Amino acid sequence: MNRKNFITKSGIALGGGILAPYILPSGRLFAKTGSLKADHVVLVMFAGGVRQQESVLGRYLEDSQGVSGAAGNIMPNLFEGNSPTKKIAYGTSVVGKPNGSEPIPKLLTNSMERSGLLFPEMRAQSAGHYVGLNTLLTGNAGTNQGLKVRPAYPTIFEYLRKHAGYKATDTWFIGNGIGNSTPLLNSSNHKDYGLAYGGNMFAAPVTFSNAGKEILGNAKTYTRSDLEPMYFMKNFLDQSFALTKDQISSVSNTDEEKSQIKDFIKSVFAKQQSNQLPKPPVTDNGDALNVMYAAEVLREFKPKMLAVNISGVDSCHSNFTGYLQSLHRADHITGWLWQYIQNNIPQMSGNTIFIVAPECGRNLNPNPILDQNDWVAYDHSDANALRVWGLMAGKGVPSLRVGGESQPVGRLTDIVPTIADVFGILDDVKSAGLIDPLAQSLYNRI
Amino acid sequence: MRNFKLSLILWTSFTICGCTKERNIGFGVDEAQVVEDKSRKTKKKNDAEFVSILYTNLYQTAISPNQLYKTQNVVYSIGDQDVANEMLLSNYFNTSGLTIPTNIEMRNDIESFIVNTFKRFYLRYPSEGEKAFFIQYIKSNPNVTVEMVYTAFACSEEYQYY
Repeated sequence: MNRKNFITKSGIALGGGILAPYILPSGRLFAKTGSLKADHVVLVMFAGGVRQQESVLGRYLEDSQGVSGAAGNIMPNLFEGNSPTKKIAYGTSVVGKPNGSEPIPKLLTNSMERSGLLFPEMRAQSAGHYVGLNTLLTGNAGTNQGLKVRPAYPTIFEYLRKHAGYKATDTWFIGNGIGNSTPLLNSSNHKDYGLAYGGNMFAAPVTFSNAGKEILGNAKTYTRSDLEPMYFMKNFLDQSFALTKDQISSVSNTDEEKSQIKDFIKSVFAKQQSNQLPKPPVTDNGDALNVMYAAEVLREFKPKMLAVNISGVDSCHSNFTGYLQSLHRADHITGWLWQYIQNNIPQMSGNTIFIVAPECGRNLNPNPILDQNDWVAYDHSDANALRVWGLMAGKGVPSLRVGGESQPVGRLTDIVPTIADVFGILDDVKSAGLIDPLAQSLYNRI
Repeated sequence: MRNFKLSLILWTSFTICGCTKERNIGFGVDEAQVVEDKSRKTKKKNDAEFVSILYTNLYQTAISPNQLYKTQNVVYSIGDQDVANEMLLSNYFNTSGLTIPTNIEMRNDIESFIVNTFKRFYLRYPSEGEKAFFIQYIKSNPNVTVEMVYTAFACSEEYQYY
């Protein structure tokens, strides 16, 4: 080999060696970073079916139960507006006072509405829970989405992993249980995406339950020198079996990521034992616990994208008082999570965009079920159930209110393109052609 | 005469109730060992099947319905099934009552340990290549334990299928 050939070939080899590790799963060399708006996004799927009237419109009992003079805002961390002064039943219970008569003190100095971007009148594409949750995570209207199957269209986790090159532990879904197909939301079954690009997931109240502790809590902590032979032998066996891509049935974490997740699970059990898990001041329902675990995942993994699902307000089908209490608590824990990120996770503080949106609304007219206060209940199936709101706060988010009750702006399918926009992959997501054609980044709705 | 009648009754009884000579019927079927073939394992075990089979495999007794229900829920609640299964297995290895060979038994006869492990987990015999790999690997790595080998098998992809 002459000198010129040697220099040419070694130059190509060197260049390839440098560049090869940076080629993304999508085939692109570099992730788009020019329009990166923040390093982290936290999406609170404020689910369960939230009526506009008791949430963003601040009508409390006036619209729902016809109690004159009983309007007011029961979500002070999210929205502006004075609290109700009449028939207070949404708070905590104090001995000697009526049930629920003590509102939970507001946590945030400024509500998210004041410090962020509010779309008070958006449109949901479905009045159902699972399709609504799918919409929040896939950006697709999901009209053909079945229950008990993974989303038919790629989730934001898959878009981020495929097009921005994030690793599995950069993307998390924290579900509030294993019912209602919730654990399937970390990935679609789409042939071009799927579990190979799926996000990590805990149905946290189950993973970290007493049963979880019994079944996982006594697991040994293997050292690296223990794990290496195990994985070496396993990898040999797996190569021999050679699953095809469509047979992959789990998220693809690296060995290091798996170890980190296992250590994390054990650390949560240890903190439970010593009562060291940071939690919202009021933790008297499952949603609060789920948000507590989401905060712990944020603290440990500092993920690029985390979505946490809550759903306590669905009690509105038969218990309106319980619904109001859950709504007030959902506001409390959402405010707490935002505050926790700012105060306790320096890597994310000031560098995170927080998005909150319900998956669907609730009906205009009640069903005949009365609760302990003789208040009627509400299902979700009519046009009012397609009325929802969306809220953004955090790095670079303008303080604005876009649209209004008589001027709807935005669709729930906008959430995915908005997150894609934050991470600079909006063009990739739109080019994939798998989101609602009417969806837009909320930044473009302003 | 009386003796004659008694003899006649006995003779008749034996004739009616007596055994007939057993006939050996052969169908020309050759004896064969029935084992799994990995190329035919195309169905994925569901969570309940996986947990139930794993438990029986390690403890040589069936898991209780209550324990099975709890376990499959917890496993289902974790997105990375490998992580869930590895922790479940590791938790089992931290309990008493396991029916598994000792490390000394493994090292005394590595070949038969490997053959038995393949039969135990995969319901098949190892190929010559698989056998050679494990014998060489275990021999050259004195820190490899039965627990490590069993973990590798129980967490492998083939074990997820039948």
